[in-house]
Amino acid sequence: MAYIKFRCTRVKMKFTTITKWEFKGTLKSKKFMTIFFLQISVLFLMIIIFNSFVTNIESESGISITPSLNGFASMDVQDQSGLISKYVNPDIITVIPSNYSNALNNTVNGKTTGFLYVPGNADREIQNGQTINMVVYLDTSDPKSSVVSGEVNSMAKIISQSYSSTLAASANPQNTTSPSINQQSTGESLPLQIIKKVMLVILLFLPLLLFGNIIIDSVVGEKERKTGEILIAMPISHAQIIIGKSMAVALTISLQVAMWVIILLLAGFHIFNPLLVFIFIILTSIPIIGITTVVAAYSKNYKEAGIGLSIAYIVIVGLLIIPVLVYISRKSFLSNISPMTIVMRLFSGETIPLGDYALTLLSIAIVSIISYWIAIKLFERDDILFGPRPGVLRLVFDLITFKKY
Amino acid sequence: MKLTALTKKEGQDILKNRIYILVVFVQVFILLGTFGIALASSIASDPVLLDQYGATSVLKVGVSDNIRGTELETDLVDQKLQLIYYNNISDAQKFLGTTLVSVVDVNPPGSLNVSVNTDSSNVFYPVVSTKVNNAVNEYQLQKKLESTGLNATQIQMILNPVNLQVINLNQNHQANLALNSSYFVEIMYGFIVPFILLLPFFLASNIVTDSVVGERERKTFEVLLMTPISSSMVMLGKILPILCFSLIQSVVWIGLLDLLKVPIYNPVLIFILLFFMGLGFIGIGVLLSMFVDSTKEANSAITIILVFATFILFMPLFIKTSYFTPILNYIPTVIMVKMASTPKINPIIILSALPTILISLMIFVFTIRYFRHERAIRL
Repeated sequence: MAYIKFRCTRVKMKFTTITKWEFKGTLKSKKFMTIFFLQISVLFLMIIIFNSFVTNIESESGISITPSLNGFASMDVQDQSGLISKYVNPDIITVIPSNYSNALNNTVNGKTTGFLYVPGNADREIQNGQTINMVVYLDTSDPKSSVVSGEVNSMAKIISQSYSSTLAASANPQNTTSPSINQQSTGESLPLQIIKKVMLVILLFLPLLLFGNIIIDSVVGEKERKTGEILIAMPISHAQIIIGKSMAVALTISLQVAMWVIILLLAGFHIFNPLLVFIFIILTSIPIIGITTVVAAYSKNYKEAGIGLSIAYIVIVGLLIIPVLVYISRKSFLSNISPMTIVMRLFSGETIPLGDYALTLLSIAIVSIISYWIAIKLFERDDILFGPRPGVLRLVFDLITFKKY
Repeated sequence: MKLTALTKKEGQDILKNRIYILVVFVQVFILLGTFGIALASSIASDPVLLDQYGATSVLKVGVSDNIRGTELETDLVDQKLQLIYYNNISDAQKFLGTTLVSVVDVNPPGSLNVSVNTDSSNVFYPVVSTKVNNAVNEYQLQKKLESTGLNATQIQMILNPVNLQVINLNQNHQANLALNSSYFVEIMYGFIVPFILLLPFFLASNIVTDSVVGERERKTFEVLLMTPISSSMVMLGKILPILCFSLIQSVVWIGLLDLLKVPIYNPVLIFILLFFMGLGFIGIGVLLSMFVDSTKEANSAITIILVFATFILFMPLFIKTSYFTPILNYIPTVIMVKMASTPKINPIIILSALPTILISLMIFVFTIRYFRHERAIRL
């Protein structure tokens, strides 16, 4: 009778039972919930910074990603006419009004990075149609002299162009035909794309990499707590154990991703196709959990799993981000191999051909199948679970020859 | 003597840990990678450097066949742009964003009406845009001046009303820079240098939590605290090797940056600042260790704290907001930027490091006192 009951239980137990146990265990852990909400507070902080960052670079005349170095370099300026010094960018260079001898001493002694000398009669020279001869002294022992030199050169070019246009107009007052430059720009600027699209897509994928510890705990923890024996003695296959544990993590991740997407939408981020974005991120979590499970299944303890996970995640992040950057610069079809590319295109509202979706889904499916197959094969081996653990070469040989263990 | 033994043991533990050694090597890759990116992006965004390195074949501009032999063509060629000719300008427009970075057209031919269409998503957009604008402005000025009857000298004066002479001082002690570019100096000193020098202290927070929580997990903390050594000394024995490990890394990174021709000035002052910041980072790590039960929890919590620390330390470097300005000069990363890039440092900058030193010391002292009170074990 007991045997029959046992047989019945054996038939009934599925991977969903494992999923339910693991998921409940995760949600019941107070510390996990604290970390979960701390992660969300990090997201809030990121949103604030992100918005300030975008506003800052959009307000710049030339959009670029450079630090806002208040008073990074300093420059003495002697410009009685005041014609020139007003063009110096005060965000980077602190302008110190000075006289010739003091200013030159300051620059020679390294107190300021440079000294700009503008002749006192510059305004009259301009009015008389004469060339203004400016001199910039640079303290070349200071690396910031490049910044001062660059700033003064671009300032001289702006002033030159402005006066040239004025002088040309006054030299030919009867010429009423004003020149016109019709300037148009196509596409969003690269720095803005990197900030708006790449940063947002990284933010959306971040939860996938934050839950590696749960997988490690779920798999390696069984070995360290010596509960692996009980687990494999249960009426459930090794494959179902792995799938059940992975499903629980996928559920936790989907909960976090859903919350992040909702928060980002509420914060005013333009995320087109939010449902598809969510689905593709969750689909991406499957191969990532698979790879993490392989690392966890092979590792003896938390420490080893930590090393393996660090290396694996560096590679995964690289493989996800590089195609995104390639897509931004080249719009290549192959860059859709990374699900990050398709998610970025989805939330940007691009029209995506079915072939591009197919490539992404194919890459997700291939990596998932391979990683889960390896994880299950590893988990089925007693020597992996209870030792002595075989070497990597031996394992690879057994896997490629489909050796039954 | 006992303190020395504990310090030695902790030091050996750090050096034997493969994760820590791996992270040290990862930092080398980060340093070399960020340096390479800064170098490449500086060249790609600077017209003068791009001309200097002869990489102008990528600056492709589509033009109509009818500009052949005109002043506009000469001006565009003078800017070292690679012109690709099309019978019809609409053909050129089709390649904008793929082969071409910009399309320039004059309609009707020979007139002053120039239309410029540029792909701003291209990596070389800033350079091409600057060069095309220079060429078009020059063309339009020349065309206007042609009809005025002015002589060549007068035209030249109008075209170049400002003459800038550059005089280099202190050339005997010239900064040995990898690239003489404004952007390179700004991005290297303004972000990458403080980022690289602080990386070891992010690692230090992790090591200290591992060390304290690890003792509790292995149930060896009781034994350690029962030894005839004060709890402050126990803490010092754990902290000293971690602090030294981080400071040594930072010193090595300073040397490596010097080798890469990014000279770091005032290394002693930076070292002192890093020492106190290290105490702050380690103090936070110890404090956190007293509230968690396992290494796993400690790692998750310290990651989140370090994310906050990154924002506090690095975001002020990129945000221009008026409400940040009064405190900007007291943020340690900003002080580090000024120290690292200035050969002769202003004493006021040194004084502005005092709040950082005081806050770090307060965190550290509070941690030690709390540790003595709680003894961090909560058996």
